[in-house]
Amino acid sequence: MNHDPFDTLAAVYAVGALDGDDLVQFEAHLAGGCSRCRTTLRQSHEALTRVAQAEPRAIPPAEVKDALLHRINGTAARRAERRSWVPWAAATAAAMVVSAMLTGGFVASRYEGKIGQMAREVSRIRDESRRRDTTLTAQIGEYRHALALLGKPATQVVELRGSGPAAAATGRVVWHEHSGGYLVVDKLPPLPPGKAYEAWTLGGPAPRPAGVFTVDASGQGRRKLEPTGDAPAKGFAVSIEPEAGVTEPTGPIVLASR
Amino acid sequence: MAGETLIRQMAAGDREAFGSFYDRYASLVYPLIVRIVRDRSDAADVLQDVFWEAWQGATSYDPGRGTPEAWMIMRARARAIDRVRSVRRRGETFVAPVDEKLAAAPDVAGGDAAERAADRDVVQGALSQLPLAQREVIELAYYAGLTQTEIAERLQQPLGTVKTRIRLGLERLREVMGRAT
Repeated sequence: MNHDPFDTLAAVYAVGALDGDDLVQFEAHLAGGCSRCRTTLRQSHEALTRVAQAEPRAIPPAEVKDALLHRINGTAARRAERRSWVPWAAATAAAMVVSAMLTGGFVASRYEGKIGQMAREVSRIRDESRRRDTTLTAQIGEYRHALALLGKPATQVVELRGSGPAAAATGRVVWHEHSGGYLVVDKLPPLPPGKAYEAWTLGGPAPRPAGVFTVDASGQGRRKLEPTGDAPAKGFAVSIEPEAGVTEPTGPIVLASR
Repeated sequence: MAGETLIRQMAAGDREAFGSFYDRYASLVYPLIVRIVRDRSDAADVLQDVFWEAWQGATSYDPGRGTPEAWMIMRARARAIDRVRSVRRRGETFVAPVDEKLAAAPDVAGGDAAERAADRDVVQGALSQLPLAQREVIELAYYAGLTQTEIAERLQQPLGTVKTRIRLGLERLREVMGRAT
């Protein structure tokens, strides 16, 4: 699959400007575990950080540090007080007297701080639910793709058998010559960092790369396969490769069709 | 002491480590926050939020995902943009900055803030090494908090052009900044 559009989306995402469908699409892609995009994001953030590091430094107002230390010591103190309710109650009573004496402005600023904190919390939850939504939408898209394939008369289901380091592994490809296919695998061992599984379509003069994927802790994984174009696919295989993917197989074959 | 060690100690509740961490990173993130929010009292608030979050979130720091500097810069940028956006939303309550150096800049309330971020004549540092068209889109996104669609509207350019410029600019920046270290 052509990764180029995702390189662009990753850059826009890194500067925080991705929106709309692009954002949904990219987050789904990222949720799929694309290590290339993760690297791009990390490097972009490091570069933007170095831009900031190259700027002249400025000393912030001293009150900020004082306020923070006060806040931190305050939370630590409150934690200690909770152990005994008497000083806690005394502290609460004292706090009530003090707060009764405070001006409306102070109360307002406290509430503003609280509201700001709540707003951040809401936005965090919203982001989280959007991420989940994105992942689910991507999964539904994949299942729909597989289901649509199964509805076509020319669709074949091809069994894959484990071999080499993954003799217990099994796999299945739902394949349609013009629409591509969908690969599901089971019992493939999880790989060390830097490695991934790569699917291949066989039948041409040489195996053609059909996509890189990883498996979860239980050894299950799935991958949408692109159609091969002119030369029809006669079989499928999966090998262990560097996580960025390669154009011809270099690692051991772990699954292959008969 | 390394930043990572300080964060680990903060995660264990070490308040002295927090003090050292603040001393080390406050002067790094503060200029970025000032640059984005521009009002100095807002900037001080944001700075406090950023370090408070760092203190509370120290346990979630993962060195594999970036340096402490990047961790803090990303957080500072995000909180500063939140602040700018909320100020923009309640534009009428915004009080123009009184700081002498900042007084020359128009207020953040209107859409003008974004334009100003792009063509401010202050030193642009490393970004000045990018072609103007690329620098402009990165600044509108990263420092003014505009989305790709908003940038395309503002510059009257097709969305695809904006995306490509951001990508090329960032690629160039990675190259330039990679070389610098």
